[in-house]
Amino acid sequence: MGNPDRVREFVEAFGRLKAEVQNVIVGYDEVISNVLITLFAGGHVLLEGVPGLGKTLLIKTLAAGLELSFSRIQFTPDLMPADIIGTSIILEDGEGRKHFQFQKGPIFAHILLADEVNRATPKTQSALLEGMQEGNVTVSGAPHPLPSPFFVLATQNPIEMEGTYPLPEAQLDRFLFKLRVTYPAVDELNEIIDRTTRPGEREARRVMSGPEVVRFRELVREVPIATHVRDLASLIVMATHPDWEHAPEMTRRFVRYGASPRGAQALVLGGKVRALADGRYNVSVEDLRAVARAALRHRIILNFEGEAEGVDVETLIGHVLDQAEAHSRRGKEVFLR
Amino acid sequence: MTDTGVLERLVSQVGWQIRRRRAQFYGLRGLFYGALVALVPLFLKDAVGPSAPLVAVALVLAGALAGALVGMWLPLARQDVARIVDRAFGLQDRVATALEWAGRPDRSPLVELLVADVTARVEGLEGRRPVSRLHPRELKLLPLPLLLLVVLALAPAVPLPTGTLPALSSAEDSEAPEDREARALSSEQPQAGKRELLERAQTMERNLGARQGGTGGTQAGDLSALFKDTALATQRPDFSSFLKKGDERLRMLEQVDRLPDLRRDFTQSPYKVILQKKKELFGGLRPDQVSPQKLRELLEEMERMGRKGGNWGGETGEGLEGLEQGQTDRALEAMEKALSKMRAMEERGRGGRGLPGGREADRRSGRGRDGGAGDSDIDADFGEGSLPGKGRSQNPKGDATERLRAMPYDAGVEGEARAGRKEGFDTNLLGKGASVPSRLHYMGVFGQYRKMMEEALAREQVPRDYQAQVKEYFDSLEER
Repeated sequence: MGNPDRVREFVEAFGRLKAEVQNVIVGYDEVISNVLITLFAGGHVLLEGVPGLGKTLLIKTLAAGLELSFSRIQFTPDLMPADIIGTSIILEDGEGRKHFQFQKGPIFAHILLADEVNRATPKTQSALLEGMQEGNVTVSGAPHPLPSPFFVLATQNPIEMEGTYPLPEAQLDRFLFKLRVTYPAVDELNEIIDRTTRPGEREARRVMSGPEVVRFRELVREVPIATHVRDLASLIVMATHPDWEHAPEMTRRFVRYGASPRGAQALVLGGKVRALADGRYNVSVEDLRAVARAALRHRIILNFEGEAEGVDVETLIGHVLDQAEAHSRRGKEVFLR
Repeated sequence: MTDTGVLERLVSQVGWQIRRRRAQFYGLRGLFYGALVALVPLFLKDAVGPSAPLVAVALVLAGALAGALVGMWLPLARQDVARIVDRAFGLQDRVATALEWAGRPDRSPLVELLVADVTARVEGLEGRRPVSRLHPRELKLLPLPLLLLVVLALAPAVPLPTGTLPALSSAEDSEAPEDREARALSSEQPQAGKRELLERAQTMERNLGARQGGTGGTQAGDLSALFKDTALATQRPDFSSFLKKGDERLRMLEQVDRLPDLRRDFTQSPYKVILQKKKELFGGLRPDQVSPQKLRELLEEMERMGRKGGNWGGETGEGLEGLEQGQTDRALEAMEKALSKMRAMEERGRGGRGLPGGREADRRSGRGRDGGAGDSDIDADFGEGSLPGKGRSQNPKGDATERLRAMPYDAGVEGEARAGRKEGFDTNLLGKGASVPSRLHYMGVFGQYRKMMEEALAREQVPRDYQAQVKEYFDSLEER
């Protein structure tokens, strides 16, 4: 298959999958796009929103649209690492000899829904997050690779924080995007009521296989990016650091720690998928702007003053983008109509 | 190699447009400055001669030409032009990416698709110019020097000063004595009325008559007698004696030990000055309301004082660093420490070697506080209230009592009253309590504790609701 066909196929597949999800989920166009971007970028996504907004349904619908294995783990405080990754059990063969055999846990699935991930203890969370980062788990000294593609979609609830264990910054960093699921608009709510209170349920059809997802992930990485766009991604990340000399005043005042290099990777990879899904063969500045909030909002740690003042990270990222673009264009903006 | 000829041509065309626009921009700017310079030969038309207008025109043209050349030859990167093309035509960085990647050995197959795509888009573009015309700010002012040039060219030559000073002495000699006196009076009282002038003249005349015993050859209204009466009247200006006196004064200034040491004066002590400035700075404000700029000035002043023998340079440096990082609490804490060191040094200095009446001197002379501290006690204006633990002696009144020894957790305070406008004491802590670090100023430690709290909240697993409670608690402390 030639390259133009591959790109065309990707654009169509992306649109088909999105349409299938939107067939079930009302609204959330941007959230759905960003979830798909994460899928094809090879990352994992964290969805945050109050209960009842359809986070779990969204993930289940996406899993239904893909010909991939799916498992769901409801995180609770008494969940243990072995409940996620599995354990070795003693088996006896026909001759009466006993041996250990590894029983795989629910993490061994292509698509994993980690529901309310902040309710489990840090020990259990880290078992999952290690698998996300490394792509395999080690039990009793033996490594067990996770299936490919491996895509974790975790959810967490920003309220009812008592008895929860918020994910540490280092572990949040392993999610490519953090998406906020907000309340639907009135017309969307009406549509939800209509769809869910009538006889019959809508279901997503399987429109993409696992190998296709892997192939598209490889294609995404071939998308070229111009030097000035790549430099802008670096500048955006640097502008989140309070000790950078050109950091905006808001960053200096309210940020304790800025985004890591993973943040820049997330910006560029997200930009590549977005460009390709848009039918373009290159990453543009607009792509970076579009994915910046999802890629950076969980990587910027506010200081005490920032939290006390109730600083909105989204607003801060807006300042960061403006400052980075201004720095990128410094002295080069003359004579443009 | 992918064919990027169309893109190269587009970038080249736009680059040429940019150069032309720049040439116009800088040419206009050069015209303005050339016109300004061209005013000079027209002003000096007499010196330059009849060729002055030609020189002026040449300067104007040279300025414009130089500006245009500079604009034309300013560096212009191809990538920047490509970015301008992308932005101008809404091509979403396609041209810049295609041109950059087309020549790269590690290009992916998608690059060829990109080049083909962007070439097709560029060929379909309308022939509009993406580069706008910009005018320099000087353009608004340009008519002014040009108008001046025309006026000066048409007007007769401007007369120049001859270079010799006017003969003031001859004019003054020929001046009538009456005029000189009247002018002296008018310069002495320029606002005085005519009537007042006359009354004053009469009074001076009367006084002069009395001093000369009513005799003498002066006539009424002869005010020159007033000057004739003084020794200065017979002297001529003697510059050598003036210089001699100046040299003597300079020699006096060089004898530093004979000059009064103002820093020894208590009212001018560095600590007192800084303390006063600190009070003015705070003036009922909370620490978070203190102006960082004024705090910086105060710290810088303390640092300057520290360079002259003080040991609080580290604290002031830390305070300035804290301000640089926006940590006002840290700066305040450092300032308090530096101030404490200043105070300690002040007291050491005053102990016996400074002004008379120091406590060390009192002790040496066997004089107590009650016996004659009086006007010589430098603390007379220094009652700032009780600051525990400032006593220099660890145990000035002998060993602790048996009761204190028996109760290891007990603590005691002893001290002596300090004279001054406000009630104040020099105190020492005794017993176990003396070793606990609770003698710091409240505001001095508050920032430190707050910082520790922030770090603890960041580092440790504290449920978010409890975090809010802790923060509210610290906020309430700060409000007090």
